[in-house]
Amino acid sequence: MANDRGNPAGRIDMCDSKELLVSFLYDEIDPVAKRNFQQHLATCVECRDELAELGATRAQIATWTPPDADLGFRIIREAESPKRRWFHWSPAWGFAAAAMLVVAASGAIANLHITYGSDGLTVRTGWNHAVDAQAGATNVDWKAKAQELDRRLVDLERAQSQQSVVRTASASDLSEQRVREIVGQSETRQQRMVSARLADMMREYDAQRRLDLVAIGQGMSRLQTSSGADLKQTRDLLQRYLVRTALEEKEEK
Amino acid sequence: MPSTDEELVARSMGGDLDSFNQLVLRWERPIYALAYRVIGREEDARDVAQETFLRAFRALKGFKGQAKFSSWLYRITLNLCRDWIRRERRTPLVQAPEGVDVIELAGEEAPSETVEELVSRHELGRAVAKAMSQLPEEQRTAIILKEYHGLTFQEIADLLDCPLSTVKTRLYQGLTVLRKQLREAGVESTFGK
Repeated sequence: MANDRGNPAGRIDMCDSKELLVSFLYDEIDPVAKRNFQQHLATCVECRDELAELGATRAQIATWTPPDADLGFRIIREAESPKRRWFHWSPAWGFAAAAMLVVAASGAIANLHITYGSDGLTVRTGWNHAVDAQAGATNVDWKAKAQELDRRLVDLERAQSQQSVVRTASASDLSEQRVREIVGQSETRQQRMVSARLADMMREYDAQRRLDLVAIGQGMSRLQTSSGADLKQTRDLLQRYLVRTALEEKEEK
Repeated sequence: MPSTDEELVARSMGGDLDSFNQLVLRWERPIYALAYRVIGREEDARDVAQETFLRAFRALKGFKGQAKFSSWLYRITLNLCRDWIRRERRTPLVQAPEGVDVIELAGEEAPSETVEELVSRHELGRAVAKAMSQLPEEQRTAIILKEYHGLTFQEIADLLDCPLSTVKTRLYQGLTVLRKQLREAGVESTFGK
């Protein structure tokens, strides 16, 4: 495009310079260029018409106003946010902790053993150790340790009996038997507690299931009752409308 | 005597929230109008205007005062409008009421106008809105900034990051297309003469 100063002698340049036209249209043009363009307009009908058309278009687009809007924006100072904590306590954490506690307690009661190996996840409780072939090696370890303990106890008792004149050889036998009895009683007690806990859990689960079933049943009944009432209301309205229409027709006749 | 924008900006930067809210009050209408004319949706334009002031407030410390405060606001608004158009992937839709409530119009407009003139002006506004919505975004934005906000060529060039000559070209092309579309829509070209 031509420069803003224009060229009075060059009519073609002036006509081609749309930048000049726009500058003149918006009156953002230096005085010399403005004077030159005015001289050009005096002799060029096309540019004069185009300028008039663009001026009219400007007047037309001035009529477009945006709709009124309820603005009234206002910036208000934000309340200081609490410092970010790395740990946030939430009910989910509470539930998770409670669940862990239950699992741990149950595991402790049931003498629970959880192992993960090549055979996948294995969960064992205390009362099936004897029949668990997979745990043979572990049982061997336990037996070895128990035998070692027994042997030490026997040695200790022998030593004591040597020092005490009142002790007899049968005392060590009695102690060993007593230890075995205590261990057996402990296992029995653990099994009883686990059984009782499982029975409680089953009872609670069953009771909740029954409650849920009752709630579902009540909900279904309410739904049926409600639908029935709506149907009845609609039927009544229809009935009334039919009666009124029939009466009006009768009156008209 | 009311404070200038520069004075209010300086006080706002010093932590005076009331001064910033005076700027908001002063500029919310033009900013809303700019957003509305660019994206053509009343509710979204309101959101854009609100977001403009929120961003300006947050970025106030970064405002160096090289440009006018209003130009800075316009730039934020145009960026948000551009994001909106890109996100919505659509051209502006001008929401105009179907019917013309003459009584309501008569209450709003100058008493010197006749009812016919009021209706004609309202319909013309709708025709212009429709024609504007069909312009390419660059031409529309240039025309809006020039015609409705009175920015200079240089200010528009700075805002749109383009040469001065490009601004003039966009204005010329945009006006020419509008003239053609309004003529096709049956709008009298002698209006306003």
